[in-house]
Amino acid sequence: MADSGTLAAGPGRPSWATRLRHFDPTILVWLLLAAVLVFLVVNPLLRLVLTSFAEKDTGVFTLANYAAAYGRPRYVQALWNSVLLGAAVSVLCLVLAVPLAWGVSRTDMPGKGLVRLLVLGTFITPPYLGAIGWILLAGPNAGWINRIWRGLTGAEDPLFDIYSFPGLTLIIALYSFPYLFIFVSAALDLVSSEMEDAASILGAGKSHTTFRITLPLVLPAILGGLIITFLEAIALFGSPALIALPARFNVVTTQLWQFFSHPARVEVAAAFAMPLLLVTIALFWVQQRIIRRRGFVALTGKGGERRPMQLGRWRWLLFAYALLVLTLAVILPYLILGQAAFAKAWGRGFSFDNLTLGNFHFLLFQHATARQSVVNSFLYAGATACIAISLALAIAYIVQRRLVPFGGVLSFLCMAPFVIPGIVLAIGFYAAYAPPPLSLYGTAWILILAFTTRFLPIAFANASASIRSINPEMEDAVRILGGSRLTAVTRVVVPLLKSGLVGAWLLVFIPATRELSAAIFLYGPDTRTMAVMLFDLSEEGNFERLAALGWLLLAATIAIVAVGYRIVGRDFMLRRGGSD
Amino acid sequence: MTMRSGMFALALVAIAGFGTAPARADLAKLYESAKKDAELTWYVAHYTTQQAEETGRAFEKKYPGIKVNVVRTTAQVAYQRLNQDISAGVAKCDVFSSTDIGHYLELKKKGLLMQYTPENAAKVAEPFQKFDPDGLYYPTAAGLIVIGYRTDKLKPEELPKNWTDLLEPKWRNKIATGHPGFSGYVGTWAVAMEKRYGWQFFEKLEKNRPQIGRSINDTVTMLNAGERIVSFGPTATTLESADRGNPVGVIYPTDGALLMISPSSVMKNSSKPAAAKLFLEFLMDVEHAEVAVKNRQESLRPEVKPLPGAKTFSEIKVIRPTDDEVSNGVPKLIEKWRDLFGG
Repeated sequence: MADSGTLAAGPGRPSWATRLRHFDPTILVWLLLAAVLVFLVVNPLLRLVLTSFAEKDTGVFTLANYAAAYGRPRYVQALWNSVLLGAAVSVLCLVLAVPLAWGVSRTDMPGKGLVRLLVLGTFITPPYLGAIGWILLAGPNAGWINRIWRGLTGAEDPLFDIYSFPGLTLIIALYSFPYLFIFVSAALDLVSSEMEDAASILGAGKSHTTFRITLPLVLPAILGGLIITFLEAIALFGSPALIALPARFNVVTTQLWQFFSHPARVEVAAAFAMPLLLVTIALFWVQQRIIRRRGFVALTGKGGERRPMQLGRWRWLLFAYALLVLTLAVILPYLILGQAAFAKAWGRGFSFDNLTLGNFHFLLFQHATARQSVVNSFLYAGATACIAISLALAIAYIVQRRLVPFGGVLSFLCMAPFVIPGIVLAIGFYAAYAPPPLSLYGTAWILILAFTTRFLPIAFANASASIRSINPEMEDAVRILGGSRLTAVTRVVVPLLKSGLVGAWLLVFIPATRELSAAIFLYGPDTRTMAVMLFDLSEEGNFERLAALGWLLLAATIAIVAVGYRIVGRDFMLRRGGSD
Repeated sequence: MTMRSGMFALALVAIAGFGTAPARADLAKLYESAKKDAELTWYVAHYTTQQAEETGRAFEKKYPGIKVNVVRTTAQVAYQRLNQDISAGVAKCDVFSSTDIGHYLELKKKGLLMQYTPENAAKVAEPFQKFDPDGLYYPTAAGLIVIGYRTDKLKPEELPKNWTDLLEPKWRNKIATGHPGFSGYVGTWAVAMEKRYGWQFFEKLEKNRPQIGRSINDTVTMLNAGERIVSFGPTATTLESADRGNPVGVIYPTDGALLMISPSSVMKNSSKPAAAKLFLEFLMDVEHAEVAVKNRQESLRPEVKPLPGAKTFSEIKVIRPTDDEVSNGVPKLIEKWRDLFGG
């Protein structure tokens, strides 16, 4: 990845340096970044748009695809279901994430380390794996929760049927809320206590201060996080395939799958994906409008004191709530998946003679594809994270500092991919880069590039939030003293952002290890990832091995995150808190 | 299967007037050319990942020096992928093994399949003979769709005997099924049910609120979990699950277990034609039948008998819709199914 550093560093001769001082290389960087974005985002999307207006096989302009995509009530219903689902998930995420983030960042809630660890555990859980755990927990007949409920009350009906709209909402929210948690707590960590103190001095109570001062200060982060969770919810394929089908309703992704099935109607699918793009554009416009009304500069170098708010007895209640949320998201599903992973036959329930390591042994030593898929996943995710973070940081900086005209176009392009369901993105990528001249089909690169595009929004949102939190005055000081823009970036911006960047890298890396919907169309014989393996196993009636592979994925991810912790101290995801 | 019985079978074939030249010489020559290809890519929807891998390894064991790249997906995904390859001008797939017969009729129409008559085509059991009159695709796998059930939850006298028994109200909320929009197996089965009992079969079934998964193998997961206690399920995965100790079993319906025959073909644009032809030979060979039987699939070769607990075709009544009924019927049926069941 050629970034601004290599582009402008040059061989370092004095004359070159002098020239550099007078020539601002930003415009070159801008051109390069624009070219990269065209390659990653515009071209595949353009192919999609063109496809949506093209007749199959002939390529003649037509509106027939749109007629086909919206010509049946069932298809329109799917679109509506997705929007409802996205909204419901966002609201639920707000309820799940904001109290936890606030508790960890701003208060004296006990057990912060544990809460953070479990949120991390939630974040690294692939949603479809969580969904499978929940099927076991809340299946209407066999789910533990419902069995216990029937046993206690003698009721006929289940307490909670996972195969329903609320069920799908819960599952998606449980595994999406960490995005919001990370956004909000990172922002809260940057707010110094001065403003809260000011409010207290003026006589505001704790709740008043929190709702009138603290939370409004981090509104951009809350909005950004909400948008991400909304888009995550409507772009997921795995969980709806597992839950919505038996629950007998369709969402956009399962409907798209139908358009791709025999006989494949890619052009209709492309037409069907278009409204989602419009929804995204609208969401970002709203976000911009809200943020633009006021400035948000809350971080001033290393100054500013942050003291946790004293909650008294309420802190235990907050802790209990956090534990409840995380029990639902992590503890219960992991327990039941663990039971399956170590079982010879899961249908026999728990007993000592039913315990085995055979499932792991099979995956690691007898199943060449499974072993290779583990390696592939981490390799591709690592490459993806490096590329996406470098790119996002460069673009976010240029846009935030208004160094070039049309910065808004760049940031829109960075955020646009999130709304493209992975399946559709995969098709766009396939159309654009599988055939010659690039012939990337079946290579690791097509997966890495598609993942990069897919997770660019996460990288970009993080990079933007980080850079927004740095007061430009510090760089201006460098420039006034005669330093170049490059010096300002390398000596001031990057050091300030270092820990944030490692966190951001992991935030891209982790979802990339488990990406399913794009991978399922782009993998080749040698490039299968774990997510594809898991999805395959999920429809093979072999739950024991599926759970074992899920556990392997989790264990490997945890190991990598632990190494990350080691490298950046304990600054991953969050600043070090007072109590852990 | 010993060499001698193989020879004996060959002799029988020769006497019956099927084979032309001595087969072994031909296969030996084919193996020599296939070694130059060194590898082939196999798109397969016949089996679970495990069985597909195992089949690839068995081929490599029989024909050292040739590698099989196994790409296992569900039938509709495999076909989608193949079409993408074709439109991208990439000749990735050498041997294509789907469970949806419609794929082959379409590929045949477009002239994308290679004409090749395997030596072993004449040696498979009777139901698999003369599959495609033009010899462009050949049966390479077979499975049965039957009624699966929880052995610990149902007494022998409570067991359903035929398909329509499951329409009785007492099975409400107790049935698991797959989805024709995903699974070639379920689509074929549903076409057969509609042909025999009319659409009202499904209207009655809907009242019993079955649990609808994707693949036909999802029914096994639902039985294992105890989420449902009876299923319209495959013999193979259900019995394989029972072999691992899960309390499940199969019932062969008296009105006919559904026989699913899944074909394979060599792609016309294959860049490894010799290896691909050799692999097609292998898929109709005894070693492949042994792998299949071990995984509780049906054997194509009369010499290879199923494991205990499963019955042979000769012992049971089987039904099978025609290829045209399946390829014309499944798309319409999927639409009707979605309108009736939602999702």
